[in-house]
Amino acid sequence: MRACDNPFRVDRVSAIRYRPFDMTFERIFDRLAAMDYRAAIVGPEGAGKTTLLEDLQKALEDKGKRTRMVFVNDTSPLDHGTRRRLLAQLTRDCIVLLDGADAIGYATWVCLKRAILSRASGLVITTHRPGRLPPLIQCETTPELLAGIVRDLLPQADDDEALRQLYHHHQGNIRNCLRDLYDRCACDRLS
Amino acid sequence: MDRLQIHLCDDKTSFLPCETVKGTILWNLDTNPRFLELSLFWYTAGKGTRDVGVVDSRKFDEPGASGQKEFAFDLLDGPYSFSGKLISLIWAIELTCSPGGESVRREFVLSPTGHEVLLDAH
Repeated sequence: MRACDNPFRVDRVSAIRYRPFDMTFERIFDRLAAMDYRAAIVGPEGAGKTTLLEDLQKALEDKGKRTRMVFVNDTSPLDHGTRRRLLAQLTRDCIVLLDGADAIGYATWVCLKRAILSRASGLVITTHRPGRLPPLIQCETTPELLAGIVRDLLPQADDDEALRQLYHHHQGNIRNCLRDLYDRCACDRLS
Repeated sequence: MDRLQIHLCDDKTSFLPCETVKGTILWNLDTNPRFLELSLFWYTAGKGTRDVGVVDSRKFDEPGASGQKEFAFDLLDGPYSFSGKLISLIWAIELTCSPGGESVRREFVLSPTGHEVLLDAH
C-alpha cells in the first residue's frame, strides 16, 4: 500500500481528537477554570495527554485567552537558554501549556513552576505521574476506545478480538497501536 | 456549484519537470473574502512528520464574492512525485479563502515518466 493511501498515516491519526471517558469536554474545561488554570493532565504513554493539551489550547484561545505551548522531550530539552527565553516572553494574561513535564528535573521544575506562575496566569502540564500540579484528569485508554478510533480510520475493521490483542500487546498505548496498524497496512502489496 | 474550484488546462493530472501548470480558479462565496490565495506546493504523507515545501503562491486581494481567474505556475525540476510504504510525496495546488480558511486542493503528478515513482513495486 502506498503511504498516502494508508488509513493510519500521520495526518489522519492527528485529526483524531481527545475522547473523554466519563466526562464531557465542557466539564474538563470548567474544572480547569475552577482550578485557576493550574493543573496536570496525568496518564501513561499514548493515552492522549498531548492531544487533550492541544484541544485545551484551542478551547482557551477560542475563549479569547492567550496561550503558550511548550513541548519538552529528550530531543527538545528545556535548557537554561530556552527557559530564559520562555520566561522573558510571558505576560500576565498568558497560560503556559507544557507538554512533557516529566522530562524536567525536580529542582529545575520547582524553580520553573514558581517563575512561570509569577509571570503568567496559568500553567497546565502533561505528566506520567501525579504530584507536580493538582490533577485535572487522569487519561486512560480501553480496548473499546482503540476499536472506536480504528473504525473511524478504517470503517471495515471489524475484528475486535484482534484489536483487543493489539491493545494488550502495546499495554494500552494507543499511539503505538496505531503505528503498528500503519505497518500492517503498509505490508500489503503496493497497489 | 462548489464554492471554490481549481481547473487545470485539459484536465491534466501529470506534468513534466519544469513544465508550466496552467488553469483557472473559480469562486462563488456568500460574502466578499478579504483575499484568495493560490499556492503551488509539495507535501509528504505517511508514517512520519509531514513535510511541506511551498514553491510559489498568488494572492488575490478583495476578489469579490464570485469570479474566476486564470493562473500559471512554472514547476521545478523536482522533487518527483513518489510513493513507498513509509512516505509519499505529493504535488498540489491549493486555493484558500480568507477569512474562514475554506480551501480546495488539486493534486497532480510531477515526474519525467508521467507516473508517480513507486519505491517498492516488487
